[in-house]
Amino acid sequence: MDFPFSGTGVMTQSNIVEFRSVTKTYNFGRPDAFTAIQQVSFTVEDLRDHGEFISILGPSGSGKSTILRLLAGLDPQHPPTSGTVLVAGRPVTGPGADRGMVFQDYTSFDHRTVLDNVAFGLECRGVSKSERYAKAREWIARVGLDVQADAVKYPHELSGGMRQRVAIARTLILHPRIILMDEPFGALDPHNRYQMQDLLVSLWRHVQATVFFVTHSVEEAVYLGDRVFVLSRSPGTLLHQIAVPPPDRPAAEMQRDPAFQQKVFEIRDILEQLETSPRGSGNPAGFERS
Amino acid sequence: MTNAEKPPGDLSGFPQASPGAVDPPVPEGSGVSELVEQSGRDWLPELRRPIPRWLTALAGIACVVICLGLWWWATAGAAEERLLLYSQLPSIRETIDYLPNLWDAAAPERHLWYNTKVSLGRVLLGFSLALCVGIPLGIAAGCFPVLQSALAPLILFGRNIPVAALTALVFALFGTGELQKVMFIFIACVAFILSDAISAVQEVGQRYVETALTLGASRLQIIVKVLVPLAMPMIFDSLRVLFGLAFGYIMLVEIIQEGQGAGGLGYLLNIARRRSRPEIMVIIVLTIPVVAWLIDQLLYAVQCLLFRWKYGREAEASVVLRFSRSILRLFWKNPDAVKSL
Repeated sequence: MDFPFSGTGVMTQSNIVEFRSVTKTYNFGRPDAFTAIQQVSFTVEDLRDHGEFISILGPSGSGKSTILRLLAGLDPQHPPTSGTVLVAGRPVTGPGADRGMVFQDYTSFDHRTVLDNVAFGLECRGVSKSERYAKAREWIARVGLDVQADAVKYPHELSGGMRQRVAIARTLILHPRIILMDEPFGALDPHNRYQMQDLLVSLWRHVQATVFFVTHSVEEAVYLGDRVFVLSRSPGTLLHQIAVPPPDRPAAEMQRDPAFQQKVFEIRDILEQLETSPRGSGNPAGFERS
Repeated sequence: MTNAEKPPGDLSGFPQASPGAVDPPVPEGSGVSELVEQSGRDWLPELRRPIPRWLTALAGIACVVICLGLWWWATAGAAEERLLLYSQLPSIRETIDYLPNLWDAAAPERHLWYNTKVSLGRVLLGFSLALCVGIPLGIAAGCFPVLQSALAPLILFGRNIPVAALTALVFALFGTGELQKVMFIFIACVAFILSDAISAVQEVGQRYVETALTLGASRLQIIVKVLVPLAMPMIFDSLRVLFGLAFGYIMLVEIIQEGQGAGGLGYLLNIARRRSRPEIMVIIVLTIPVVAWLIDQLLYAVQCLLFRWKYGREAEASVVLRFSRSILRLFWKNPDAVKSL
């Protein structure tokens, strides 16, 4: 069916996502082998009617995207070299609509109007034209675009922020259990970024999915997340899982709060240490390259 | 705020209070004034600066006038004193005087327009055949590398066949009839169409495929809904170039023909040679590029209409599109209907 992983009660699984000592080594067994992530383990509970928001932070090349793409089941990160990636209790076998993904570069289908972009997933499922367009219009409005004016536009007529709204609507219209976002706002200016953060918070309350959000911005990670994952330098290991208060105010306002800033500085200190200290500051010893 | 002052690990670009951030003072005599002076001293015209419309037209006209002047100068004077003899290059006057003969109703098979049509027909047939084979196969090979590897040797040979050798080959295989001409165009084009279609599909970013996958699209759906539509404009670009080439090549095989009345521009060239009529040659050399340009513009207009999502604004620059629109406006009562074309 549409959601191959939305358990039918056969498995009483309370973890929506589980990484069991997952290691990904490219070119395994060759001299140019490169380990992106190493022995990463964590669990994310399936909170009913809520879903958890996980922000992932780490130095460049620490395998943040690798974690997302392993969850999405995309090559060449999928499958892991060792360990298991479980979604709703089952190993990930490939990509699917139950795990929606939003990329940093705006991947709107250039040959489709906004309406047809948003309706793409439903079209692939064989939903009738009138039904999928009705739903697509709903979602276009929900992500803050003008249904009348923008629905008929082509992506080349849109700004970066608008395109990312289209990408978000296109993903959320399918009601994925898990949403994977790979620096989705990385290319936006600060003002747009605040707006998109606010939008994401309100949408997330609506869809109640588990979100994995990779970002370079500590503020963004702390603001949006329930938990912040901090990865070590390459090869990436999961160093910290820091619980942070959920967003309860608009982004621009909350991010000025001294308590919020305190949290940001704490995490930034950790990251700074990672960037400057010699390798292995947090790496578990004993990993061998074969 | 310079990069050095940015806390590491934060690439957010958020405006932040950074008390130490003062712009470094510009040292005096640091070359700023030198630079200004230099740009005034440069004797070359401004690099890549767009020029006004009238200058564009003037430059083009100047080129034509110079070429015509050279032609006139080389063929002026009495028959024996000319730089180039009549048999080498007829003068402008002689060429213009001969023109009506190519519209003469008495000999329709010698008409310029009739023979252009015959040649075009052959090119269209052979080219369409090459499209029917090359595009589906190329798209499939662009999607599945196994097929691409299997086709690679064929493409390598097909792209590198010397055209002259190919004329001999199709002559041996198919004789001198219509089949020979159509197959010549087919063989000359199909490998190029194939390889261009393959690279067009491969050029489509993997991100689009990944996005479609995470939206639940099947592989067939990705081919039909994502890869093919996104590759089409690039395929069309190469088709325009190839069609122009094919139209130029057709004459090579039309020259080889036994018997009369097969028609085509190559046939007309044969007549020119047999009857020592160099005017025909000159006229063909001058008309064919114009016809080829018109066809290219027509195809470009079609392309703009087909891929509106890509050429939204560029479409306005299409000469043929604007021209045909203004023609339509003359006959159509409703100008908005024309505008939506």
